[in-house]
Amino acid sequence: MQKKVSYLKVCLRPLSVGLLCLVLPVAVFAQKDTTKKLKEVKVQSAPVPLVKSIAPVQQVLAGDFDRLSAFNIADAIRNFAGVNIKDYGGIGGLKVVSVRSLGADHLGVLYDGVAINDAENGQIDLSKFNLENVQEIALYNGQPDAICMPARSFASASILSIQTIRPNLTTDKPYKVLLGVKGGSFGLINPYLQWQQRISSQWSFIVDSYTENANGRYKYKVQGEGNDSTYTRNNADVSARQADGALYWTKNDSNKFNLHINYYNSERGLPGAVIFYNTTSNQRLWNQDVFVQSGYERLWKSSLHLLINTKLSRDYTRYRDPDYQNNQGGLDDRYTQCEFYQSAALSYHLLRDWEVSYAADFAVTSLGAFSPINALYNYAYPTRVTFLNVIASNYTVGKWRFQGSLLNSDISERVKVGTAEPSRTVFSPTLMATFLPTNSPELQLRAFYKDIFRYPTLDEIYLFTVNGPRIIKPEFARQYDIGLTYRKALNNFLDFITVTADGYYNNVSNKIVALPNQNPEIVSIVNIGKVYIEGIDIVVKTQTRTSNNWRGSLSVNYTYQHSIDSASNLQIPYTPQSSLAVNAGVDYKHAGLYFNQVLSSSRYYLDAAESQIGGYSVSDLSFIYKLKISNQPAVFSAHLDNLFNQQYSVIRSFPMPGRSFLLSLQITI
Amino acid sequence: MKNLRQSILLATVSLTLILASCHKDKKITPVTPVVTTGLYVLNQGLFNDNNSTLSFYSYSTKQVTPDIFSSANSRGLGDTGNDIEIYGSKTYVVINISSTIEVINTKTAKSVAQIKLFNGTKAREPRNVVFYKGNAYVTSYDGTVAVIDTAALTVSKYIIVGRNPEQLAVANGKLYVANSGGLDFPNYDKTVSVIDLGTQTVTKTLTVVVNPQNVVADNYGHVYVLSAGDYTAANPSSLAIIDDNTDTVTSQTNFDGSGMTIQGDNIYFITSAGKIEIYDAKTQTVSNANFVSDGTVITTPYSVNADASTGEVFVTDAKDYTSNGTLFAFDKTGKKEYSVTVGINPGKIALVKN
Repeated sequence: MQKKVSYLKVCLRPLSVGLLCLVLPVAVFAQKDTTKKLKEVKVQSAPVPLVKSIAPVQQVLAGDFDRLSAFNIADAIRNFAGVNIKDYGGIGGLKVVSVRSLGADHLGVLYDGVAINDAENGQIDLSKFNLENVQEIALYNGQPDAICMPARSFASASILSIQTIRPNLTTDKPYKVLLGVKGGSFGLINPYLQWQQRISSQWSFIVDSYTENANGRYKYKVQGEGNDSTYTRNNADVSARQADGALYWTKNDSNKFNLHINYYNSERGLPGAVIFYNTTSNQRLWNQDVFVQSGYERLWKSSLHLLINTKLSRDYTRYRDPDYQNNQGGLDDRYTQCEFYQSAALSYHLLRDWEVSYAADFAVTSLGAFSPINALYNYAYPTRVTFLNVIASNYTVGKWRFQGSLLNSDISERVKVGTAEPSRTVFSPTLMATFLPTNSPELQLRAFYKDIFRYPTLDEIYLFTVNGPRIIKPEFARQYDIGLTYRKALNNFLDFITVTADGYYNNVSNKIVALPNQNPEIVSIVNIGKVYIEGIDIVVKTQTRTSNNWRGSLSVNYTYQHSIDSASNLQIPYTPQSSLAVNAGVDYKHAGLYFNQVLSSSRYYLDAAESQIGGYSVSDLSFIYKLKISNQPAVFSAHLDNLFNQQYSVIRSFPMPGRSFLLSLQITI
Repeated sequence: MKNLRQSILLATVSLTLILASCHKDKKITPVTPVVTTGLYVLNQGLFNDNNSTLSFYSYSTKQVTPDIFSSANSRGLGDTGNDIEIYGSKTYVVINISSTIEVINTKTAKSVAQIKLFNGTKAREPRNVVFYKGNAYVTSYDGTVAVIDTAALTVSKYIIVGRNPEQLAVANGKLYVANSGGLDFPNYDKTVSVIDLGTQTVTKTLTVVVNPQNVVADNYGHVYVLSAGDYTAANPSSLAIIDDNTDTVTSQTNFDGSGMTIQGDNIYFITSAGKIEIYDAKTQTVSNANFVSDGTVITTPYSVNADASTGEVFVTDAKDYTSNGTLFAFDKTGKKEYSVTVGINPGKIALVKN
């Protein structure tokens, strides 16, 4: 599901004394119906999906991906307020997401409601998922609104929910086929196919697949080598393919079943950090991931609501570094992670305005490791058993809505070699409320408190340990948020305006920090950190009414994060104090031109004042044109990314590409 | 309405252009620093961050010039500097991950030559350097000792030794190389290669405790090899003493210490408890188990060096391994004279006598 050769893994590799290694330490095509009720205005794309939510939520729909110049899920959410993407650059580069300075391990990712779990590394690489079968991406701070959901949805500081497209076909045309190809810079060729089929009134399926091939090369400059030469990023090639199939049975809205199968396979070069005077990298990474998930949902007339989810997954990673100076001709490590997951949730309305729920999740996750050339010393072969139980309730009274939940997490482990980490039980409460201060729903106030933790990953506990597992406590994140949403349908040249603003205070305790040791073989991972985060997220969206076929739209997302590490008294690494994302666009008939601008203030790359790296400003331009090919609807789009060819990096020593382009053509049959 | 749209777009574009134009590359103008008597401190920086730096502390001005290499050369040292030694009028800085030897003029910090140690495109990853009769000898992780002619500043020969050699020392016309096998954890190497400096060939391979790393030679015919062990209780760190006449290991004893260096008859160690310990080469005993006598707290002692002429001892503190470290100077009785800020992970100190 992600590139499992985390930096932890690379860094935990024994290095000899003196070589210090630090672990640094992530279209519902036009007429999508939304809950929005705005006069009699024809909404040609769904600009503001106004989900009535207690928790702060930001959403992006399939129709918006092009206006955001998005190629993958990480691109699609980069404008979100509070989101910080650690981008290692390039088409195959790792992209992990941290929300509100809490770190990528605190973000839960749901794929059609079921968590993508990585007990080994904790961080989900969002560059993998195909955008073509995604209908909607939503980011919830705290937790989603619905309380009849798997317990894992309550178990992260924020939830990124990815919803795939569901077939919605009639007997007139019981199928729909989408054919598309993307290509451009980095030698990218990315053909894809989507086939939706209605089988009967109750059964339908959808199959999505793509292949992606790119040499990944791009030009960059190095600051600090004393010359002005341009280098080419090499060993950055990617070759990936994914197939995703889903089968739906829908008796009616309150009785339905789905079965999902997803297969992903990739090989890529890891260009690594740009090291002064040494450009060689021959590291390779292979991933082969497969999962099967099924869900059954039933809503009875009595308001009893049942949701059952099951998932089986197997992720395989192979990492090869032929240049590692050991006696076996380098490293060739293979890791497997298998998980069985079962979830059941039940809710019931005690009163019309009072709903209670209970959900229980059970997961068994096992890690395997193997190398044909070098013995993996002392590998523990750990298995983690997780029990999550949550009770939750929604209550509406007058202009108030309340939600409360209490999660119990019980985590235990066993190992084949050595000793296991002691088991732990943690209780995590959440309280949320919204209030409508006026009689109109235009203005909504909200507040929430969530106390949650992230458990140390299996790598943090067991990987390359010398004397038994590292005893690490969970890292706690407490979030306090207060905010408002204002939305108004307008009758003048503007169609609507929405403003959401949230102020928050988070504190992270027992932060899990990796420290090198006098003996770097023994990287110690300890709970020493405390981080205090004060932040503001502001999102403004507006759109003009369509006039003479013209329409303009504008969204502005601003994030302020004052995230102080108590030890260094400095802003935590890779967290800009201010970031701003602006997207402006004009649509004329079947064409659209959009401009996206991301600004970031300077950041530190270490917990040290002298480690400041500059801010950056990146502009993207995209153009979209809807046409007919042989009478079939088609979409052509062109992205021009990093318009002004800025040389910058998000992560030190990992330069980002300069100007690049992407063309795509899609036809619907 | 059209006008409004256009002006919004125009405003956004011009904002972008303004912000984009604010983003200027930092241009470092080279200066010519004056390096007088004092100390060079080589800061490793952090792996993959290309932030290895050289700090210079002047005895006369009592000031630190941070990152003096960049100031003098308008470029960085590179990634993870591991060793610095002075030979004649030049200073040799060994950069591990960048796989280079920066040869600098000791008086100006200006680079005279950058020697790249690569086997084809594969970095050899140099570690440590010593000198003998006009040649520099550099160990690299690829299992070699490079022989560098200090006049021509080119590699004349690679001598094959054991796995992942670390430090090396010259004694009795021979070179003793500690083969750590540190990248083969947990199957470390446990040998010392003896190289005849006349023929520049390995004449003997001695066996010591696993993971030998530090090597020093005294004035009494002893070569000391400190092995780090494998970090388990079964194989703790251990000190071997080699007779440089017979090239045999005469003693091998468990020894709590790391970062072994020698000045005169004093061999300095950093103990696991963070104490600076002195071993007397003449009497072959620990003469002072806790050199720092005034209670000065050193969070993470990282390297030690001493000035044999004044008896001063210099200790660097790596603190949390991610922020700027500190250099402490102690008089011969172990009382702190001063401390100054240096760079990240100060791993090696060289004494400059200009």
